[in-house]
Amino acid sequence: MQPIRLTVNGDKHEVTVDPRDLLVYVIRERIGLTGTNVGCLTGDCGACTVTLDGRTAKSCSVLAVTADGSEIRTIEGLASPAGLDPVQEAFWKENGFQCGYCLPGMLLATRELLDEDPDPAEEDITRTIDGNLCRCTGYTTILRAVRTAARRAQHRDERPERP
Amino acid sequence: MKTPSATRTTFDYRAPEDLDGLADALGTARGAVSVLGGGTMLVPDISHGTAQPDTVVDLARTGLSGLRRADGEVVVGAMTTYRDLLTTAPAPVPLLRRLAAGVTGGPQIRNRGTVGGSAAFANPSSDVPAALLALRARMRLLSPDGVREVPASDFYTGPFATVRRDDEALIEITLPDPGAASFGYVKFKLSVGSWPIVTATAVAESGGGLRVAVGGAGRVPVAVMLTEPADPADPEWLAHIRERVESELDSVGTWTDELAEGTYRRRIAGTIAARSVAALRGDDERR
Repeated sequence: MQPIRLTVNGDKHEVTVDPRDLLVYVIRERIGLTGTNVGCLTGDCGACTVTLDGRTAKSCSVLAVTADGSEIRTIEGLASPAGLDPVQEAFWKENGFQCGYCLPGMLLATRELLDEDPDPAEEDITRTIDGNLCRCTGYTTILRAVRTAARRAQHRDERPERP
Repeated sequence: MKTPSATRTTFDYRAPEDLDGLADALGTARGAVSVLGGGTMLVPDISHGTAQPDTVVDLARTGLSGLRRADGEVVVGAMTTYRDLLTTAPAPVPLLRRLAAGVTGGPQIRNRGTVGGSAAFANPSSDVPAALLALRARMRLLSPDGVREVPASDFYTGPFATVRRDDEALIEITLPDPGAASFGYVKFKLSVGSWPIVTATAVAESGGGLRVAVGGAGRVPVAVMLTEPADPADPEWLAHIRERVESELDSVGTWTDELAEGTYRRRIAGTIAARSVAALRGDDERR
């Protein structure tokens, strides 16, 4: 067992972990943020996506000890006190989810894409979510949500209507 | 509360902060050692019990990332991520950028997956190993005894197996500066998110000489040197490249997994190799 320090959504945490503990379980079970989902544990499905030092990562494929000292953002850290992130609003408006299990990963992957490129090409959108599996929607509404979020990112003053 | 762990037994964990520390960690590690890069393949294997290391040596803090030029060579740090390959401009080896762009699994994988990890993991289906053969790469291995270099063509001994010893870590990959070489890269797969079935990398060096490496088809990647002029539209040349690739595959044995039989991979390997030659492009994407 060894102590590690993580900053999660701005809050500092010190937890003692076993080297084999996966980051996703430490976030869920030790820090208590259960918005990050456990899916395949093979790195395929993307349900466990978090942002690790500014870049998305699949937290089932990261040992918690490796993340010692890192800044982490989980889905709980995406909205601000002022309201949902525009990416969240776009997914809501476009029904970009059904059961919602893949949603945290979809949202964080989309956020990273738009932070880097506010006007992504269609090909970049599909490449961005190709590490996030959704078994409900058939992806059509998800792709529409990402396009809507991108459009909004370019016209920030046009706040979307709440559904 | 007990954190769920997918693994039955724990392991020692070492995270050296420089090469001296790495050599020391490798020299004093207990039992079976796994060297951890970006974790995208090893950590799931640990979770599922496919890998059962006694010690994990994590390269995350060793500073072994990035591409640099040195003495007419390009040095790729083992911890260089696919993202690094995509964002390093100008790209010293445009082929590596093209390869990284085709890695699936999402930005999460491209952000964390490393060239060294893919090279050392030796998954026959991975993109990196065959590309390294085509680029005439040398693998730089660190152990408590020092550093040795192994050509990529001698590095792979079988599926998921290399000449790397338990007390060694792959720290860098060196490539001859490709200069004005042109590159072709083609991968064949059954769906967008699938592992490649067969990959082919063609490198035409400016001084003449055309090398094509094929991955995914054999138990280890194979490479052939072809004499120019290469004409992918010429049936005779096509027959020639097929024969050369199949002969190499027969000497190492074909690779079969749940995605495709070895006989099938062998049958398409020559065609994919020819397509990589047809796809040769110059350094227009170097910027």
